[in-house]
Amino acid sequence: MSAVIKTVTPFVIEEMLMEALQAVGAEPVKITVSNLQTVSHRGGLVVGDILTNRSDYYGPQHFRLEGDRWILRHDSSEMNGRISNRLAEKHYSRVGRFLEEVGSAYEVAYQGYLARTAEQERIRLEEERKARVEATRQQAIAKARSQGYSVKETTNSKGQIQLVLTRMV
Amino acid sequence: MPEQKITLTINDDGAITAKTSGFKGESCLEALDELLNLEGVVSNVKKTDEYHQEQTQHTNRVQSLKGKS
Repeated sequence: MSAVIKTVTPFVIEEMLMEALQAVGAEPVKITVSNLQTVSHRGGLVVGDILTNRSDYYGPQHFRLEGDRWILRHDSSEMNGRISNRLAEKHYSRVGRFLEEVGSAYEVAYQGYLARTAEQERIRLEEERKARVEATRQQAIAKARSQGYSVKETTNSKGQIQLVLTRMV
Repeated sequence: MPEQKITLTINDDGAITAKTSGFKGESCLEALDELLNLEGVVSNVKKTDEYHQEQTQHTNRVQSLKGKS
């Protein structure tokens, strides 16, 4: 016998997982100290778990951070699987199918995340560059004045700062 | 009274290009060193013909002073 398997997308970034769960209509809810007692689950819940609107014999299926990955905890036989969606329009799908959907949505969210972080990094580097230029300018002006130069500041055709220092000897 | 002049251009990455005039001989480099602390940061020095002429204006270019911030 041979087999081909595909593992689920590793869900490692909580923000992306929440976004993906929203996208597939799983209505994610983060368990906090304040709502921990309001949700019952036979296996128990802990602060930090992410509930979905999917339920089974044990209660709401939920993601828990195990090591560096968020893992879906559910009844292996999916006994009494159902959706507790208030709109009740969505039908329960098997866990494998659900994870595939979440995986696809996670990938989309992750690509957006990469684009956003790249933009943030670009902005950060640009701010650093401007600060470096400004520090160089201020240092040069201060030192020139301390050495008796008069300083005239202009900008050249490339938009670069130009300092013309003159002194009589 | 002779005038000493240094033109500093600050590049987009914070590097400096410096051009001097009115200095005699090596004094232009000394003046730049006093002003910019050149040790270990100069990537290129181009001495002009004037640099070698005594009692005349000297022009020196010090380019791309990387790391001067």
